[in-house]
Amino acid sequence: MIQLLDVAYRYPGEREWAIRETSLAVKAGELVGIRGANESGKTTLCLVAAGLAPRVLGGELRGSVELAGLSAILFDNPETQLSGLCRTVYEEVAFGPCNLGLARQEVHLRTAAALERMGIGQLAGKSPERLSAGQTQLVVLAGLMALQPDALILDEPVSRLDPDGADVIAGVLLGLADSGKAVLLAEHDEALLSLCGRVVEL
Amino acid sequence: MALPKGPAPLTALALALTAALIGALWGGWAALAISLAVVAAAIVLGRLKPMGLILLSLLPLALSSLLINALLPAGGAGASTAILALVRLAGATLPLSLLFLAVPADRLLADLEGHGLGRRPAFVLAASLGSVSRARGRAVHVIEAQRARGLDTEGSWWRRARGVLPLVSPLVLGSLAEVEERALALEVRAFNRSGPRTVLEPPVAAAWEGVLRWSLLAAAAAAVVLRFAGR
Repeated sequence: MIQLLDVAYRYPGEREWAIRETSLAVKAGELVGIRGANESGKTTLCLVAAGLAPRVLGGELRGSVELAGLSAILFDNPETQLSGLCRTVYEEVAFGPCNLGLARQEVHLRTAAALERMGIGQLAGKSPERLSAGQTQLVVLAGLMALQPDALILDEPVSRLDPDGADVIAGVLLGLADSGKAVLLAEHDEALLSLCGRVVEL
Repeated sequence: MALPKGPAPLTALALALTAALIGALWGGWAALAISLAVVAAAIVLGRLKPMGLILLSLLPLALSSLLINALLPAGGAGASTAILALVRLAGATLPLSLLFLAVPADRLLADLEGHGLGRRPAFVLAASLGSVSRARGRAVHVIEAQRARGLDTEGSWWRRARGVLPLVSPLVLGSLAEVEERALALEVRAFNRSGPRTVLEPPVAAAWEGVLRWSLLAAAAAAVVLRFAGR
């Protein structure tokens, strides 16, 4: 579950608030969209909802943010979300579960399941550095899925994907919500937003 | 070409560090022998071409050293001194160059992590090793973008040199922005979680490699003692 109550946030060194008096709740099993123009604060809201701002980014937060369980966030630029430490897509997807210190067999199970769910099993042996942007986005999302988060936040996940890739993401989002995850989606793509149970305007 | 199965990454690191230390401290015939051995190993491992590029990168240094020592009166040390200095440099750098050419960084890091190196130092080391290729890739994108806006980066050396300046700012700023995004991505993927990290395929070292590592450590210590005791 993600719950934001009267949240305002400004980045370090900034006088202006990037978002103000924003409230939002995403329950388990719910898929909620965020629609807004560029610079409306969608990405900032995602960072706050993921618990990264101000914990990692610094800055100032007002209001309350509640996150139940493990949360994960997917950004729009897939290239900077690769670990840069892995030789193969398989290792890249396994990177998060390895960081959690899970048993090796559990890591393999989660990795195989995430690759299958994203339909990218054929990429497992390839170098993550040699993929297209769309393929990389699917690999990064598979890496997040392997973490088995309770809440998933996606910031324009299909902006660099072809229609087939976007269809995969759409199927994954619906499947995640069906399996009881809280899913928050910031997007311009109306087709993807139409899948959401409700859409919040920024 | 598939690499022949070699020693565990940590053994390769111990070998490279010991050879580099001996090459740097002793110079002369020892450094020459080490350099030749490294070139021979590069041939066996199918890494001769990248090794050749590394040797080429030493060329400007070699030429300037020869110029200063052999031709300029103020240098005064002679061509033999310049050649000895270059041999010493080759002996010190080539073993480590071959190590990074032949051993995948992630395997080396997994081995180091398995022997107690924390994940943060491991990441810093890996990020440093990988930063060169990423910076090169980013530079290609920046050059293409600037060319599309009319920047001339082809032609004479002077023209190319003038074209470098407009590339620096987007390259540096882009790299800095990437650092922040990458830090967020790593945080999301539990990189900063405390506790041991699972290593998917722990490098396996043969029993003899443990003996070899200790022998190399002893050889390195002996090389240092003998070198300075001989002065």
